[in-house]
Amino acid sequence: MSTSKKIGFLVTGLLMLAGLAAWGLQLKEGLVLTHMRNSYSWGLYVATLAFFVGNAAGGLVLSSMIYLFGVTSLKPFARIGALCAFANVTAAMFAILPDIGQPVRLYNMLLHPNLVSPLVWDVIVLNLYAGLSLLYLYLLMLPDLRGPLARIAIKVDDPAAFSEKWAKRLAPYMLVAAVGIHVITAWIFATQGARDWWNSAVMAPDFVAAALASGTAVVLIVCVLTYGIKEQYTAAYRALATFIAVAFFTHIFFMYNDFFIHAWYGSTEALDVLAITFKDYLPAHVFEVLAPLAGVILLLNGKVRKSGAAMVSACILLVAGIFVHRFLLMPGAFDRVPLTIAPLGTQDMQWSMPIASGQYNPLGNTFVTSWQYFPSAIEIAIVAGVLAYVGFLILFAIDRLPIVNAQKEST
Amino acid sequence: MRRGMVIDLEKCIGCRSCVVACKQHNAQPPGNWWNRVFTPGSHRHLTPPEKGEEYFLPVHCQHCNNAPCEKVCPVKATYRTEDGMIMVDFERCIGCRYCMAACPYGVRQFNWEDPKKAMEKYEYQQDYSYGYPEEFRLDGRLVYMPVRFKGVVEKCNFCAHYADKGLDPACVRGCPGNARHVGDLDDPDSKVSKMIRKKKGFTLLPEKGTRPNVYYLPPRRKEG
Ligand code: SF4
Ligand code: SF4
Repeated sequence: MSTSKKIGFLVTGLLMLAGLAAWGLQLKEGLVLTHMRNSYSWGLYVATLAFFVGNAAGGLVLSSMIYLFGVTSLKPFARIGALCAFANVTAAMFAILPDIGQPVRLYNMLLHPNLVSPLVWDVIVLNLYAGLSLLYLYLLMLPDLRGPLARIAIKVDDPAAFSEKWAKRLAPYMLVAAVGIHVITAWIFATQGARDWWNSAVMAPDFVAAALASGTAVVLIVCVLTYGIKEQYTAAYRALATFIAVAFFTHIFFMYNDFFIHAWYGSTEALDVLAITFKDYLPAHVFEVLAPLAGVILLLNGKVRKSGAAMVSACILLVAGIFVHRFLLMPGAFDRVPLTIAPLGTQDMQWSMPIASGQYNPLGNTFVTSWQYFPSAIEIAIVAGVLAYVGFLILFAIDRLPIVNAQKEST
Repeated sequence: MRRGMVIDLEKCIGCRSCVVACKQHNAQPPGNWWNRVFTPGSHRHLTPPEKGEEYFLPVHCQHCNNAPCEKVCPVKATYRTEDGMIMVDFERCIGCRYCMAACPYGVRQFNWEDPKKAMEKYEYQQDYSYGYPEEFRLDGRLVYMPVRFKGVVEKCNFCAHYADKGLDPACVRGCPGNARHVGDLDDPDSKVSKMIRKKKGFTLLPEKGTRPNVYYLPPRRKEG
């Protein structure tokens, strides 16, 4: 094993342990260890769920481009696509677990599922997609399951042809399931009339667009790191870069389209909500737009694509920007108390009903209309642990399974 | 039968007796308050935002007919009783807090930590306990308990434990101005239905489409 691999395993392993320890502590003490409170009841965990769900789009992009649209240059990367999809969709589920106040009661989801709850749909599609991407990965690896791995290979006459046939057959289902996880995750938020920031018809399409950009970027990072920059991959990298750019610009269009419509009409509620992102969180908003934009501009440059380091950095910029985009789901929804009214007999006034924060504060007020949320160290440690899990799983799989073609030069 | 409430803002004197009665009777842990009374528009309670323009607004769960909290709950811990009250089953709730994001009225609260520990932090007297002392089950579901589990959501349960004994909710009984009334909204001849029609009852945030079962009667216009 190379030193860099060892370091990779060590770092991700330690981070995972730290995350687990943080979760253990939080289980013992309660969610009081987070910085969420009654008026700001969802935070980093739910934002991270959305982030990883988005990143899982890579598998869909690869499988559909190859098997539905015939971009054969991407074929060597199909397994990486499926692997990234599986790693990210499971990470999404791990990210939401610490948000649950009573995780031991999760069996109630099986015993008493509420079929009108978008959360129930999400759990179903996330599991479905995880299962499908695992199956897909297995099928793609089948021709190369040799040596000790031959034990898990199903016996077929011509594994290569079998793999090809079924990968093609499964591709449309992957597409449906992948679109499903994004749309339904977006619906968790978009269905909520209580939160003006979420309650928009553009949220689901925008979620898909942002997911296609970040999910593909994640796959591209892994491809560049494993296959490196070689002549025969130029076309594939160009295809992925172009795809990322189109997806990102679509996302920007959807997002500003929504802002524009609300800003033009100028209702107080909408302006208040927009002000949260454009005033209070301006630096974060600038980052969520400019960082991915810089990434995309770099990726579109053929010279940049000659350097692995530059490509990886560009992709990281994009993914980081999308992460901030997902985090910004929260302030717009929770910084403003929904029960804001114009008091009877007053002029030009909007007044928010304070909420009991649920927080002990000997000096401050129990009742609050706004809550300065920034994740606590525990929240950050847990999320870092989940991120490390993604890295660990990908490293581990590439190390042990025929993910990267042994004879890289073929195909 | 649809159990509803009418709050007459003309009668409310802003004393917050209902808030305290609710907090005590329902053993709400430190930092959580199911029922709140505001002076809308004012930065301090009981000070008019504009001279002569003061009114008080009690807010708690509105027991909505189209309740987003009920629809989002993945495990049906939040559910509707036959007579239209929205309940939380403390035994079933997984603590996902989706309902808190879904409720437009900000009335749902979470047990961020063990209530006993919270009481220590707040320096409550040792072994002090308050509120209705027994668990109460409605159709087998745990809708009231004196000491909550950590990690579950709670909110107004329309004093189901008292309704069972034929009593009005603690807030209704604690109101010195008789501003609060409970009755059957399905019956057009009930006291509450008549009050809503005669005195121009309104609901909060009608634009959210939640169709609350809690109505407010406007404070009367003061001439001059
Ligand atoms: S007021 Fe909130 S908690 Fe009560 S029923 Fe309506 S949505 Fe649910
Ligand atoms: S926090 Fe409890 S009551 Fe609220 S939606 Fe989740 S499971 Fe249901």
